[in-house]
Amino acid sequence: MSANDTPPEEPNVPEQPLEEGKTQAGPVAEETGRQRLAAGLWPPRVSRAQLIVALLLFVLGLGLAIQVRSNSDSSALRGARQEDLVRILDELDGRTKRLEDEKQRLEDQRRELESSSNQAEEARRQTVEKERQLGILAGTVAAQGPGITLRITDPTGQVQSDQLLDTLQELRAAGAEAIQINGVRIVAGSYFSDENGGVGIDGKKITQPYEFKVIGKPQDLEPALNIPGGVVQTLEKEQATVAVTRSAKIVVDALRAAKQPDYARSSSG
Amino acid sequence: MIAVLGLLAGVVVGLLVRPEVPAVVEPYLPIAVVAALDAVFGGLRAMLDGIFVDKVFVVSFLSNVVVAALIVFLGDKLGVGSQLSTGVVVVLGIRIFSNAAAIRRHVFRA
Repeated sequence: MSANDTPPEEPNVPEQPLEEGKTQAGPVAEETGRQRLAAGLWPPRVSRAQLIVALLLFVLGLGLAIQVRSNSDSSALRGARQEDLVRILDELDGRTKRLEDEKQRLEDQRRELESSSNQAEEARRQTVEKERQLGILAGTVAAQGPGITLRITDPTGQVQSDQLLDTLQELRAAGAEAIQINGVRIVAGSYFSDENGGVGIDGKKITQPYEFKVIGKPQDLEPALNIPGGVVQTLEKEQATVAVTRSAKIVVDALRAAKQPDYARSSSG
Repeated sequence: MIAVLGLLAGVVVGLLVRPEVPAVVEPYLPIAVVAALDAVFGGLRAMLDGIFVDKVFVVSFLSNVVVAALIVFLGDKLGVGSQLSTGVVVVLGIRIFSNAAAIRRHVFRA
């Protein structure tokens, strides 16, 4: 520890006031700690103390490096204690079980939802089908299909509402499914009335020629009208001309507004 | 200077050789390293104070390591291993900080 290798930026003069707190360490501190550090570092001297300290520091560095390495290894479980490992394993088991349970529950739920949505779809389909059928009966939707056209020309004005009603009944009895007369849809509640010089259906006046558009089986409808003493013969007795035409496609497109009953409510469901 | 070189050599060897630590020693290695760090800081402070004695350093280094490992071992046997190692680390950390403060006063005069 020689004093002659003092660094040049270190004047030796103001030493006493700076060492005020450390007097118990070195009672005769002729050089500062910084100088001692520099002296220890340079020039390197091989002494027993240096070698022993170097050995211990080598061990320290080794341990430090090993520890840092094993800590930064992929598994943080290296170096964990046995009880910690057991606890971690327990937690993992519990968590796995919880997650399995949850998965099972969610799958059940999904299955339930799928089957219920299938059922709802089926119910909706049936409802739509039924609505269409009922709509044809109630006259709220247009209909098309095979059928006949019946045209009654009455130059003398002898055909009354009751003849038309007979015709209609005959058609219904022969299985007509949708009927319109001169653009008026015939439904269950339709009624005929005599107007002056014509016929009224449901309060709407229609004039001749009366044209029935009927959807049904043509092979049944036409003979039903043409039977001896039947509708056609009766009408021809009244000086009317009747023409029946079969057709593969009849369009009944006169519509009727759906009527909501004021008081009656469905009692089912 | 030789001592600093020794430290560097230890770090390099530890990183390159990647020796396998036996499983028995593994839990005590971190605590031992912290204890050794405390001894090194104490030695550095003593050197700056001019009262460094190599024998004292060796003894304090080894005893620090052994006592720290022993405390952790005992704690493991008693079932309070993690708490006890936390306590050891706290105490050694406080000592390291106070030693570092003394070193700082020497080196930076502040």
